[in-house]
Amino acid sequence: MLLVSGVSKSFPGVRALSDMQLEVREGEIHALVGENGAGKSTLTKIIAGVQPPDTGELRLDGKPVHWSGPAAAKAAGIHVIYQEFVLFPHLSVAENIFVGAMPRTRLGLLDHAAAERSAAALMARLGVSIDPRRPASELSVADQQMVEIAKALVERPKLLILDEPTAVIAGKEVEALFERLRRLRDEGVAIIYISHRLEEIFEICDRVTVVKDGQWVATTPVSEVTRDRLVSLMVGRDVAQLFPPRPAGLDAATAPVVLRAENVRVGHRVRGVSLELRGGLITGLAGMVGAGRSELAMALFGGLSMDGGSVTIGGATYTRMIPARAIALGMGFVTEDRKSEGLAMLQDVGANISAATLHDVTSGPFLDRARERTMAQADIAGYRIACRGPGNAVSTMSGGNQQKVLIARWAHTCSRVLILDEPTRGVDVGARTEIYRIMREIAARGVAILMISSELPEIVGMSDRLYVMREGVLTGLLERDGITEERVVDLATHARQAA
Amino acid sequence: MSSTTISGKPAVRRPLTPATARFLMIGMLMAIIVAIGALVADRFLRPANLANVFEQATDLALVALGQSLTVLTGGIDLSVGSLISLLSVLTSGLIDGNGAMVLPVCAGVILLGVLVGTLNGCGVVLLKIHPLIVTLGMGAVLQGVALLYTRSPVGGIPDGFDSIAYGRIGGLSVGGIAVLLIFVAVAVLLRRTATGRAIYAVGDDRHAATLLGLKVRRVTILVYAASGLFSALTAIYLVARFGSGQPYTGADYTLSSVTPVVVGGIVLSGGRGNVLGTLLGAYLLALLNNLLNFLHVPTQIQLVAEGLIIMAAVAVHVEREKRA
Repeated sequence: MLLVSGVSKSFPGVRALSDMQLEVREGEIHALVGENGAGKSTLTKIIAGVQPPDTGELRLDGKPVHWSGPAAAKAAGIHVIYQEFVLFPHLSVAENIFVGAMPRTRLGLLDHAAAERSAAALMARLGVSIDPRRPASELSVADQQMVEIAKALVERPKLLILDEPTAVIAGKEVEALFERLRRLRDEGVAIIYISHRLEEIFEICDRVTVVKDGQWVATTPVSEVTRDRLVSLMVGRDVAQLFPPRPAGLDAATAPVVLRAENVRVGHRVRGVSLELRGGLITGLAGMVGAGRSELAMALFGGLSMDGGSVTIGGATYTRMIPARAIALGMGFVTEDRKSEGLAMLQDVGANISAATLHDVTSGPFLDRARERTMAQADIAGYRIACRGPGNAVSTMSGGNQQKVLIARWAHTCSRVLILDEPTRGVDVGARTEIYRIMREIAARGVAILMISSELPEIVGMSDRLYVMREGVLTGLLERDGITEERVVDLATHARQAA
Repeated sequence: MSSTTISGKPAVRRPLTPATARFLMIGMLMAIIVAIGALVADRFLRPANLANVFEQATDLALVALGQSLTVLTGGIDLSVGSLISLLSVLTSGLIDGNGAMVLPVCAGVILLGVLVGTLNGCGVVLLKIHPLIVTLGMGAVLQGVALLYTRSPVGGIPDGFDSIAYGRIGGLSVGGIAVLLIFVAVAVLLRRTATGRAIYAVGDDRHAATLLGLKVRRVTILVYAASGLFSALTAIYLVARFGSGQPYTGADYTLSSVTPVVVGGIVLSGGRGNVLGTLLGAYLLALLNNLLNFLHVPTQIQLVAEGLIIMAAVAVHVEREKRA
């Protein structure tokens, strides 16, 4: 149905794609996997008409096509659902779905009733119940995603491309999404599914194409490949062990308590949580998206104010925390949203690394750029950050390297506690193992690490102790051999207890 | 895979930084204006005329410097015009031709400017209201106070006070040189101090700046106080130039102070740009006005030309951002 052959694309200084090929058939879900920077995004943009290829050919239903722009690709039935949704928050679901193409009455006025009826029909086709009259801003992220898909369906797509659709949803929402995608596939829609989560590929995809360094590596039915084989195809080497081994001689029970939270409350999201973080250990915090994990972590660091409870660290107890104090107390926080909350995307590696410790690179009234550069150079080598040097703008770097910059920044402040919220989101497999290794190194200095992750294998593989959270309260603490995926799922999801 | 930093590769030609590209663009526009000017009038290129242009940019550059700082944090200060009006009538009204009053009044006026700016900053920080509204309200109040004080030009200045505007060093105006030095100083402070970085960080993302432990409130108050300071200096300069303060002297500066900021490449959402761009923007506008005067273009048309330049500058900017 879609045939990409011999496509190459270069940007100044980078060869993004060379001789790329991809074949997608009608009625299949085709996975596109590869590390960050492997060329998936560029390929998507070329298929969707956002960028023209330098060389090579696109064929749709056997006919060669040349897109003049995204609109031409859309008209031909190719739709992309990007990670960032493009919904108008104050418009209703129906208005969003028919944006630019609202049905009209005979008088030429917008026909809201007809739009709402058609929107409801689309929702029914997707098998979801979302009131078409609700404003988009009131919807959950998962529902917003459904609206995006509905928007694409209006135009009767032949090919739907989903870029990391599960990066923003979790658990049952993922299941629901998969159910909907299978329906569309069975209606004959071809789907290109881009994801870092290999488990999902095995769950939902029919065939998979692996790309690496801008080149095609393999295309195979999912049923004929193993997870390990996929990973080694992506990385180009065998990943013997994704997670570094837990250091021997580490005893979760006797490690010193570095931070103790008592009955912390934040609005309705965190409803009385008490926990301990122990030095040298990685403490996991698992739970569904929306369980209050990020809010709890933010509150410990002072990014959200506590409505009750206290945090004890360094021998003193605080009922109010602000980030400046948390940093002074030896805490660091690698946020979930790397791009908006974490990095100053316009600035260079050096400035980003020193951002939380500017006083260390200030002499007199002025910043000491030389010292800042030395500090950055040491981190670039120590954490193996791939860049041209301290002057490299972070905006041009891959997700994994950006994340390393953030960790390097906070490693300078976190003498006691380092909080990492979804540290490997959008990070490729190779960089993941590096981040895990760095986390272990930091913990080995006696730092207490708190890691939030929605990926079960990761949180189970990395945690020495693991708290599970559900609907604003902790539902369990697992230790060592007690940490299993089954237990986590059980604690994170099991039905609301009788009141 | 021994080293992950790319060092041995042949140097890739790096794209221009946005600031460099912006300066080049302004430089090119200036060159075009100068070329046209040289063609239409041979007086245009004479040092005396260029010194004139340098002088004429002074007041706008100075107000725009304060505006640049508020815009860099993602805010805006719409009280500058009224503040200049009020402070100018106070300056000339209170000095009233008495040489002994010059220093105390100027000190008082500068202090008042900083105080008003600080109030603006506190309003933004404590009331959590958009700076546009806070400073618009403050502007209305200040204009009212200025009109309560006087409805017509008031007071006067002693001999010698006008040398702030008309004094020359090596053919260049004293005020113009002072403003150039102030710009360089502020540019260095922004680039080379922790507070300077903080101003950019706050404009880039307020919440992210908080999470870095930066004193976001203090930084915000600081930029509005600085804007008040530069408005006060502008008021004193204008009194020196015109010989007396008038209650509507500053009115035009409220919006026109944003022009050099935007033309100079500072993004209205904050966090990006360079104050030296603002200075170049002010010179560009002064040069344009000068050329249009040579061409005997009426004032109304000059406004149209200025408007078109702003739109072109912003359009070029947006286009570059898209490609980035």
